[in-house]
Amino acid sequence: MKQLSIMVDLDRCIGCKTCIVACRNHHGLIDHEYDMPGEIPYYLRVESKSEGKFPEIKEDSWVVMCQHCKKTPCAKGCEEGAITKDVQTGIVLFDREKCTGCGECVEKCPYKVIQFNEKENYAHKCNLCYDRVTHGLDPVCVETCLTNALTFGEKEILLMQADAAGKQVIKKLSAQSIVYVKTP
Amino acid sequence: MSGDGWIPTVCYQCKAECAILARVEGGVVKEVKGNPRARGKACVKGMAGITSLYSNERLKYPMKRVGERGSGEFERITWDEAMDIMETKLTELRDRGEAHKFTYSMFPHSVTDPKWRFVNACGGFISTGLPHCDSAKIMAHMHTFGCFPNHHIAPMYYAVPKGGLMILSGRHPFGCLDDACVPSHILDAKERGAKLIVIDPIFRAEAAKADWWIPIKPGGDAALFLGVSNYLLANDLYDKEFCDKWVQEGDMDGLKAHLKDMTPEAMSKICGVPAGDIIKLARMAAEAPSACIDAFKSIMYGNGMDWGHAWSIFLVITGNLDNPGGQPLPEIAPMAPVEPVPPAPDVTELGYHRTGPDRSQFDSYKFFLQPTWYAAQAIKDDTLKVFFASECNPALSEMGSGEWRKAVTMKDENGDYKLELLVVTEIMPSETMKWADLVLPDQTNFERWEMLYMPWWYNYGHCAALCQPVVEPIGESRHANRVFIDLGKRMFPEYFAFKDDVDYYDIELAGVGMSVKKLQENGGLWSPGTVGFRKYEDAGKFNTPSGKIELKWNMYKDIGREWPSPELPLEYRRGEDEFPFVLVNFRTIYLNNTGAWSQNNAQLRDPVSGLDANPCLLNPIDAERLGVKSGDVVTMESNSGQVKLPVELTEKIIPGCAGIIHGFGQTMGKVACRGSWVSDNELISDAGTTLDEQDLRGGEAHVTTRVRIYK
Ligand code: SF4
Ligand code: SF4
Ligand code: SF4
Repeated sequence: MKQLSIMVDLDRCIGCKTCIVACRNHHGLIDHEYDMPGEIPYYLRVESKSEGKFPEIKEDSWVVMCQHCKKTPCAKGCEEGAITKDVQTGIVLFDREKCTGCGECVEKCPYKVIQFNEKENYAHKCNLCYDRVTHGLDPVCVETCLTNALTFGEKEILLMQADAAGKQVIKKLSAQSIVYVKTP
Repeated sequence: MSGDGWIPTVCYQCKAECAILARVEGGVVKEVKGNPRARGKACVKGMAGITSLYSNERLKYPMKRVGERGSGEFERITWDEAMDIMETKLTELRDRGEAHKFTYSMFPHSVTDPKWRFVNACGGFISTGLPHCDSAKIMAHMHTFGCFPNHHIAPMYYAVPKGGLMILSGRHPFGCLDDACVPSHILDAKERGAKLIVIDPIFRAEAAKADWWIPIKPGGDAALFLGVSNYLLANDLYDKEFCDKWVQEGDMDGLKAHLKDMTPEAMSKICGVPAGDIIKLARMAAEAPSACIDAFKSIMYGNGMDWGHAWSIFLVITGNLDNPGGQPLPEIAPMAPVEPVPPAPDVTELGYHRTGPDRSQFDSYKFFLQPTWYAAQAIKDDTLKVFFASECNPALSEMGSGEWRKAVTMKDENGDYKLELLVVTEIMPSETMKWADLVLPDQTNFERWEMLYMPWWYNYGHCAALCQPVVEPIGESRHANRVFIDLGKRMFPEYFAFKDDVDYYDIELAGVGMSVKKLQENGGLWSPGTVGFRKYEDAGKFNTPSGKIELKWNMYKDIGREWPSPELPLEYRRGEDEFPFVLVNFRTIYLNNTGAWSQNNAQLRDPVSGLDANPCLLNPIDAERLGVKSGDVVTMESNSGQVKLPVELTEKIIPGCAGIIHGFGQTMGKVACRGSWVSDNELISDAGTTLDEQDLRGGEAHVTTRVRIYK
């Protein structure tokens, strides 16, 4: 199966959120004049986990965006057929024209990444920067990541790269098309 | 305006001034990214800069105060009126023979900044003006190896070899204050096999990536590294060849004698790092092909000069000067002077505002910058009458901000303000603006011309980068540089005979065979692209009076400070019973702590993309003793003020310390003033309470205080 993907390297993600703001700017997700904190949509979010007791502490950070799932629970939930998995790229795409704003996909997404525009009544989310990647560019988050923690490419190739670098795939973060890796 | 597309300019969401590209579409900035010609990265603040540009809170017109100072009430005036007000007051001051009672608090973007020129042309100023944070480091490096003041310059992480040590001591490079490409360079070096060692009372993003996190008592850095140096010398693990060749005769013996009793065991008692770890660090440094130290908050303590001295000694005895992976010695690009050059004030004659019990002791330190806290003292003493501020925020983000706010509202017997004129340039409402008589709407980096000539610039050590307008300015905003060139033209035409800011930059750039136009045509950047290594070998000397490295600071002989002391700052050694916690204030990547631009930026204050709260971090051990749990609201009190804030328990802080983020607490602006956020500076009284010791140790207690915490 064809699948474009982003590999998130936990050895390098510092949780700085640069990617979030870059993605918002690129996709016009913020009204710079009027948006208030807590009300701005986002296609990525940062998660982190720390373990241990002072002074033996470990902490990892990573980003979560649409996982471009193999079996697309969001698409299954959408009766209008507004959500499709692109056969050329494996990208899960939303068709705003077909979206009636029922919000079913938001409920169905196990990763809680689908955004909802209340004002104009439609759902939206990361499209893996479809308009960029189909023209040979990296997704915006990948290009701007402060630490180069993100790599874009075909999933199989990314997995080979991770293997060659001695990194392990962290299955519990996502078994979908975004690949999380870390040096064991 | 250059039209649509990706246009090179420079970010100014913080003082790192990264070279960026801005994507303009239909006259609107849509996106930002790092300029690849400068190993380009831009951080989250840089990305969110667009939100500052288009905030509906942008100041659009000059304004004059109508209420009392501090009321924040203004009325719109014209630029002409604003210029008249400044010209009249400064002329009057000069006619009274008090021109030096004018000071301008700003961050000069280069030594050639036209605002600085304006101040000099005014006939001297009292040196309270420049906000600064690491002048102890600058002075220490200058004294020891004659290194050009390298404010904010980081070690060249891209040059750290396999096995090299990168030591961060109270430093947060992942927070991007050097250049946004630094975090990736550190991680790249790690992938090459370099080691990252983080010395910090708080575990943060750097510690999460470190090979070794060394929790330390705040202010213990000098003791730690004196212990390391003791071990290196005692065990003949230092770079003897380098020291024999380059260190001033007699200094190594003097150093050995001075460090004799500063064993790892003895130093461990002061800094709280186990002696075994001090030895381990020393051995690692001896075995590594290179070691560098980057420090920032830790140099802002009352013992900053001791730490700077200990740091310099460590670099020297391990032979880590200007080598790949060591301490770079920056070079200065030969910018052309804009003739005639107004003479700089003689600060030795005009004096500093240090007001310790024995002023003469401090004077021997020859600092060229002083924190704005001293402005407050100067106002009280009637030695400061006119205060201008650009890109700084003394009412909020500097130690003793409460003192400053009080001082600017002090009146004389006639009921007039002792400070006669307070002018602030700002792009959106800031805390300091509230107290201003005159508010001048400034421009963001997307609207202005500016030549950033940065001897401290991370990438190549020295370069010029062009900040150019990519969109039309908002309202009647004018960049501060242009304003003070225009005022200069009115008041001192002989020194401002050039046409405008662009013309001024053209003259300077001619020194490196450049011009604004050429920079525009060449992607906005100029640099020779190299700083080279071990430049002292080519020169055959260091830039010190003796030409050698001077470990012993003979200039401080009279005050008995030729060698560094390992003691913690006085602020931490006294009042322990009354104030059991040491306050550790820290910065984050989401805030340029001085600027209203990031404090009041919707994206940076968003819980998803930035930082929304400023709780008090406490170790669970301490919390249990205090009987508090996460979410409880506590009072935190120092000897100068108190704040109320919620507690957050975390294993990431050393017991005995309370952590809060620096730069919160603004009460102006729709985004900034939401929620119960507090300013650490309410607690950090001022340097004044421990000046008796600081005058001796040359430090400035920007961040040092003890607090008590109760429910
Ligand atoms: S791939 Fe594109 S749309 Fe998706 S999170 Fe990254 S920048 Fe945003
Ligand atoms: S920009 Fe990169 S390092 Fe920062 S949070 Fe995003 S993925 Fe992580
Ligand atoms: S580090 Fe500072 S100058 Fe560089 S991109 Fe971030 S905010 Fe801008």
